[in-house]
Amino acid sequence: MLEGILTGLGTAIMPMNLFMVVVGCFVGTFIGMLPGLGPISAIALMIPITYGLDPASGIILMAGVYYGAIFGGSTSSILINAPGCSGTVVTSFDGYPLAAKGQAGKALAIAAYASFTGGTISAIFLLVAAPMLAEVSLSFQSADYFALMVLGLSAVAAFSGRGQVIKALLMTVFGLMLSTVGTDRATGVQRFTFGSIDLLDGISFLLLAMATFALAEAMMSVLNGEHKDDASSSNDMKELGSMKLTKEEVKEIAPTIGRSSVLGFLIGVLPGAGATIAAFLAYGVDRNLAKAKEKLKFGTGSLRGLAAPEAANNAASSGSFVPLLTLGIPGSGTTAIMLGALISYGIQPGPRLFVDNPEVFWSVIISMYIGNVVLLILNLPLIPYISRLLIIPRPILVPMILLFSITGVYLVSFNSMDIMIMAGVCTLAIGLRLLTFPMAPLLLGFILGGMMEDNLRRALLINDDSISFLWERPITLVIMLITALVLIAPLFQKTIKRIFKVETDPADLAID
Amino acid sequence: MNLTKERIGALFFLLLSIIYGYYGTEIRLYPGDELEPMNARTMPYFLSLMGIGFSLILLITGKTHDKDDHDQSREWIPVVLLISLTLLYGLTLDWLGFIVSTILFLIGGFRILGEKRWRILLQVSIPFVLIFWFGLTQLLDIYLAPGRLFTGLFTG
Repeated sequence: MLEGILTGLGTAIMPMNLFMVVVGCFVGTFIGMLPGLGPISAIALMIPITYGLDPASGIILMAGVYYGAIFGGSTSSILINAPGCSGTVVTSFDGYPLAAKGQAGKALAIAAYASFTGGTISAIFLLVAAPMLAEVSLSFQSADYFALMVLGLSAVAAFSGRGQVIKALLMTVFGLMLSTVGTDRATGVQRFTFGSIDLLDGISFLLLAMATFALAEAMMSVLNGEHKDDASSSNDMKELGSMKLTKEEVKEIAPTIGRSSVLGFLIGVLPGAGATIAAFLAYGVDRNLAKAKEKLKFGTGSLRGLAAPEAANNAASSGSFVPLLTLGIPGSGTTAIMLGALISYGIQPGPRLFVDNPEVFWSVIISMYIGNVVLLILNLPLIPYISRLLIIPRPILVPMILLFSITGVYLVSFNSMDIMIMAGVCTLAIGLRLLTFPMAPLLLGFILGGMMEDNLRRALLINDDSISFLWERPITLVIMLITALVLIAPLFQKTIKRIFKVETDPADLAID
Repeated sequence: MNLTKERIGALFFLLLSIIYGYYGTEIRLYPGDELEPMNARTMPYFLSLMGIGFSLILLITGKTHDKDDHDQSREWIPVVLLISLTLLYGLTLDWLGFIVSTILFLIGGFRILGEKRWRILLQVSIPFVLIFWFGLTQLLDIYLAPGRLFTGLFTG
């Protein structure tokens, strides 16, 4: 393991890769600050840029963008009460009241320290857990992978919240349907190509991601009239004030940060439950643990209420890399998009990644830590300046985001037909968003569809054309039982909510 | 039966799954493939059935009334115009080339979203596109073909 860490460190501290982390954190912070644009869009916008880079640098850049986007989301939650992404909605519960009291600087500092600690603790856990899990998963067979993918897809649907489960399942099926378009990898037969040469290779993952997220989210902000908000948001922006914390304040938030980091990491590892759920749960747990007097402060500017979700969402972001790096199965929309990018580099994440491309595996883990340091020592002092970017008038900013999304796809395919297809897919995505269908399961289904079919086919072949492997192989059986449990869990959602006393339902938010 | 958002969505997916399933039956199979436990049609059939099943569940169990969101006004016109602008950009890119069509796209986008001062429209879009083009072609060495209209004009 030490050799691996050194390999990762060697790769991560190469000047080019350090530059990528810094750029990723800055760009991510900026995009994350923009209300409506979440980490998925931020990463999607980066993919075309990473095509010219080597895989390690590319994934390091995207990982930097990921933490940057979460951090940027917190900044806009605190400063203008407009969460940049769903994972930071809880941050605004106590962050904005603090800013309203003239303590925005302190709130930002707590957010940064909590994020840093959450990121650091989870990076250490990742360092230990990922190689262990990767080694265990080397014994996995096609049947187990198939079962894991079913679990991943079911979990995303199950964790999508009250009233959303069936909709998320439908979107997953829709994603799986889209993945069948093109030439069947096993038999070479064309499926749903309708005679079009453009569809022989299937639908482009980048096009789908850009059109359903970056383009559609920018359009949704226009639809909701947010493009007119520039004047009000800049007026609403609070004065920062001092960023210093007293000893008592540090003592008050330290246990919260520790607890929430561990909780966040564990939730992040679970497929389907990302930063949003981690932040909500950490907030709920900490409020339950608080004394009666302290409990009243929650929602009015409690330091603990701010530190808990911040530590948890960052820890969950790192935790979500565990299933991606070790099993090759993304647990969230954000890691799904990273999986798509890795596959386009010719790298197959999974247990073999640890063996075949150790430099990618370890450098991502090491760069996570470097990313957290960058966020703390570079981004925090620069927040007053970065937040000024929010003042760029939306009528100027939105068309530029649209342009980056469009050219991002065009500059890979050089096919102007793709731009028109994007417009069509974006229109459909807007319609589905208005009908309150979640988008992340679509992307997850699309990415996993091909792999799922291949693994099922192989499992059947190995098992003499019988599906008995689902109950005869112990590992597969356990995974399938967990899947069944996960699917019936939403029925007990009320009980879970009562335990954590969470008032706002994460169901109303997008899966990250 | 109220046609709520959920039910509209369910009907859409029901129709989609049926059409998908129908075209699934038209996937060509090699001789003997139908005897295999899994062929090119298996997954589409299964997905079509799942789609139909989930749509029906949503149709039956979905909300009977939508939340009243009258206070949330939607700005449809700029969105429709921006999507049309995107389509137009796709159509003109090959003909006008990257620089001209992108400048026009940005000016159009800025105007649709309410920026009417020509000085700003030109001062932002032209330098931005030129720097972007320079970065792509000169720094990243990406070849961007000149517009067909210009190559046609200058090469006869």
